[in-house]
Amino acid sequence: MANSSKISRRNFMQQSALWAAAFAGAGSVLPGQAFAAREKELNILCWEGYNSAQVLDPFRTSKGATVKAESLTNDPTMINRLRAGETNVWDLINVNNPWARKVMHPEKLIKPLDRGRFEPFFGSMMPEFKAPYKWAMDEAGAELLGMAQRFGPYSYVVNTDKISRAAAEDQGWNLWNDPANAGKYGILESDDWNVFNICLIAGFDPFKVHSDDEVAKFTETAKRVFKGAKVVGDIATMNQSLIAGEIDFHMTGGTYSASPARADGHPEIRGITPKSGPMAGGKGGVAWIEITSTVNNPELSPLAADFLEYVQAPDIAHTVAFAEGTFNPVAQMGNPDCFKLFTAEQLDAIQWDSLAEEMGRCAEYDIVPDYDKLLDIMSAAKREASAG
Amino acid sequence: MAEASPILSLKSVRKMFGAHAAVDSIDLDIAEGEFFTIVGPSGSGKTTMLRMLAGMDTPTSGDILLRGERINDLPANKRPTCMVFQSLALFPHRTVGQNIEFPLKIRGEVPESRKARALQLMDLLRLPQSYYAKNVLKCSGGERQRVALARALAYDPQILFFDEPLSAIDYKLRKTLEKELKDIHRETKKTFVYITHSLEEAMVMSDRIGVMRAGKLVQVGTPHQIYSAPNTRFVSEFVGDVNVLPVSLDTDGRLHSRLTGARLKPPPVPEGFSEGHLVIRPEFLRFLAKAADADNAVSGRLYNEYVLGSRIQYQVRVGEGVFAVEKLRQQAFTGKLDDDVIIGWDAKDAILVTD
Amino acid sequence: MRLSQGGKSAIPVVLFLIVGFAAPLLAVIWFSFMPPRSFSFGGAPTLENYATIFQGTNYISFLWSLSLAVTAVALLALVCYPVAYGLVRVFGKWAMLLTLLFTIPLFVSENIRLYGWVLFLIKNGVLLGTLKSMFGLQLESILFSLPAIILGMVYVYLPFMLFPMTLGISMVPNETRDAAFDLGASRWQVFKEVELPLSMPGVVIGFLLTFVLAIGAIAEAKVLGGQRVIPITHDIEIAFTYSQNWPLGAALSVLLMLVVGVLVLLALRRFDLDTFLGRR
Repeated sequence: MANSSKISRRNFMQQSALWAAAFAGAGSVLPGQAFAAREKELNILCWEGYNSAQVLDPFRTSKGATVKAESLTNDPTMINRLRAGETNVWDLINVNNPWARKVMHPEKLIKPLDRGRFEPFFGSMMPEFKAPYKWAMDEAGAELLGMAQRFGPYSYVVNTDKISRAAAEDQGWNLWNDPANAGKYGILESDDWNVFNICLIAGFDPFKVHSDDEVAKFTETAKRVFKGAKVVGDIATMNQSLIAGEIDFHMTGGTYSASPARADGHPEIRGITPKSGPMAGGKGGVAWIEITSTVNNPELSPLAADFLEYVQAPDIAHTVAFAEGTFNPVAQMGNPDCFKLFTAEQLDAIQWDSLAEEMGRCAEYDIVPDYDKLLDIMSAAKREASAG
Repeated sequence: MAEASPILSLKSVRKMFGAHAAVDSIDLDIAEGEFFTIVGPSGSGKTTMLRMLAGMDTPTSGDILLRGERINDLPANKRPTCMVFQSLALFPHRTVGQNIEFPLKIRGEVPESRKARALQLMDLLRLPQSYYAKNVLKCSGGERQRVALARALAYDPQILFFDEPLSAIDYKLRKTLEKELKDIHRETKKTFVYITHSLEEAMVMSDRIGVMRAGKLVQVGTPHQIYSAPNTRFVSEFVGDVNVLPVSLDTDGRLHSRLTGARLKPPPVPEGFSEGHLVIRPEFLRFLAKAADADNAVSGRLYNEYVLGSRIQYQVRVGEGVFAVEKLRQQAFTGKLDDDVIIGWDAKDAILVTD
Repeated sequence: MRLSQGGKSAIPVVLFLIVGFAAPLLAVIWFSFMPPRSFSFGGAPTLENYATIFQGTNYISFLWSLSLAVTAVALLALVCYPVAYGLVRVFGKWAMLLTLLFTIPLFVSENIRLYGWVLFLIKNGVLLGTLKSMFGLQLESILFSLPAIILGMVYVYLPFMLFPMTLGISMVPNETRDAAFDLGASRWQVFKEVELPLSMPGVVIGFLLTFVLAIGAIAEAKVLGGQRVIPITHDIEIAFTYSQNWPLGAALSVLLMLVVGVLVLLALRRFDLDTFLGRR
């Protein structure tokens, strides 16, 4: 307690950054106690799941640590929180695959991991994660930037009582090009993914710079797709509407969004990966892999690395896969000690039967170079659709 | 007084609230053009009675007749009567003019004739014409009284009811307004039915007064009758300070005062009287040089004196009892406090009441 | 110049107001002049964000927010006045219980209540499911439509119209009502000439309160409307989240504040509370 009242210059800078973030965020939640002795403290910025008590409590107990986790449901917001100065606040950031390698490392928002300590863990993961795993490494292939865990295909979800899995896979993104389907589908409010999907529906690869013609096509498609949507909402709304029969299918969805409904006794709700599509190799699905990295925090908590190690353990990896909210496959299922913890029901909830096959038909989530422009177009399309 | 056919008649009117009779079997005739005042303490049922007369309450039993027509169930807005409320109930969102014109507007009169009538009434009530567009809440207490009365007169009612409109007004203004109201009564020749808890107020204005107690009318009469011949101790005490002696009639025709032990010469004794109260007004008591100077005399000690404007009241202690004696200022008693005094009165000046 | 004792005592309050109220507001206003998609206060001020808004289609969202709010307020007025009137003048001893029933939902989060409505309105849900199984009626669901949004707004903001109105009506002195009736007015005339104007302060407060709340509404359009309608608040949210265009979000917020501020001032000018209360 001796130095508790001393305000160092750095402390002051951190405070200022926090104030700036608070003002600009206008209502965003600030984590408390962001700066004190860091040995017993860990702050995690993540997708939901890592912030659950099931995952955090054993770690808190064993380390006697104060662990705060804030969950958000889109990557750009989390990255921008770091850009806005919150690298002083967070120790770990958990986002989808391209961000560490392509954005956060070049912008020095994260710190590389100790390869000697962490690379061996990739050995017991599923085969496609063998070291050096592309999304965990920097562009040069020299630095290890994060650890992989949850992943999944994420294209669209259908109620197989209304549209068979085979028909949905065959028809692919053209489901949204069929005028007869207007009013029968929903759209999950994941606007970053919806940008990918509109590209795919329009018939071109999302993860590249788009020509004027493609942008025009995108604009037209976005208007049409949003106009035909019966409902735009969160995951709970999508699942409820699918089960109740308000909609037959919805876009942006996969094991991540369908698994809660499947675990709840609705096997007819199923994530679908199209057989083919406009991306390289004729792929039509998009998959995500979360990479968890240590933040370039000047006072990084030593617990950050410990936590990354902690979640590799088979039982904790299983807990992460089935933490509250959504249920997902984890790379650690490649380890038989971890895999055997999954019950038949749990495997069915995450569509284990078709997981490998679906991942094979997926391109991996990547940065859309002209995302800002496309998102603005899409937001306007959504607005214009509401004007009738 | 009510020889002319009555404008308003009450026949055994009763109003029950649960098991309690707020108004209990009242029979009363009020004559055309009369200024009739009902006096009673709070809770005596006078407001309930007035509300029934105005049509805001219906009697539980009995009949109310207006010129012989039964109006028990006629709602207030259909009765040719109008009430001036205790709170005045002016419309705070309206000007003086709009308040006065309200009944005319309701009746559908055109604005020009409404305004003409309003100005005429303002004249009658000595309200400056410039007040026509004034917000009613900006008027003084007395001005508001006049606006309320003008508004009621604009309705052109056959009977005007008043629910203690002067009770919240200071003494001096009240005295002025009491007289004004009596003048207005003369000028308009309408029937006024007024309720108040102040008999003094009633005396100033009324042709006749009805005293109410616990839902019943205990005495109805002219102010003079009520003053000089109260039929109960209750009525006598209502007029103001009085000396009340519990007495019983002795076999020799004299009264025995239990309080002072004195034996007194009575006023005319009613048939069958045995026990009751002797009421002596303070102004009928006088200081005596010797006991034989009056029909009745008692000895006591001058304890205190109070100056009441034109009169002075003396408190004289007689044994356990206290007598109030009043003199005009010019005839002030010359004794000092704590002097032994003899006070007395003539038998004819006292009133004997049973209750 | 020295501060009086009272002035000194006021310093904490003034500081609190500056830090807690004025500073965030000024920060938002300042941020609205920062270059698009920037994250610091240090950029060169620009009107670009406002230009983007005026050239774009955000006006659609503004119009939606305004018309939803106006519709909700109008419906609330129609629904609440009779209820408030009943609470004050008709229901007697039941008024207390009813007031409690209207208050209880306030203790449950708005989102949970709206999801409750989703379960009620959804196809095969409480309403349509019951109609189907009991009467064999098969009706179109109104969920994810404009009527559902308005229903949600009326439901959520009901207490904020009802209670000021109740207060307004209870402020009408009984004797003025009696007096008007006694002066020959019919029930309707008593209402029109006396009760309604005298209860206006409560009505106006209810209007302003619900209008300001309703124009800031977002959950109803999202949850019950299935985002079929995008109000301006949703545009602001998208700017701050998916778009990561905080300056644009700030500019939209500033415009919303301006619109609401101007409308409220105009309304207060038109319906001056003091005039209603007869204070001037």
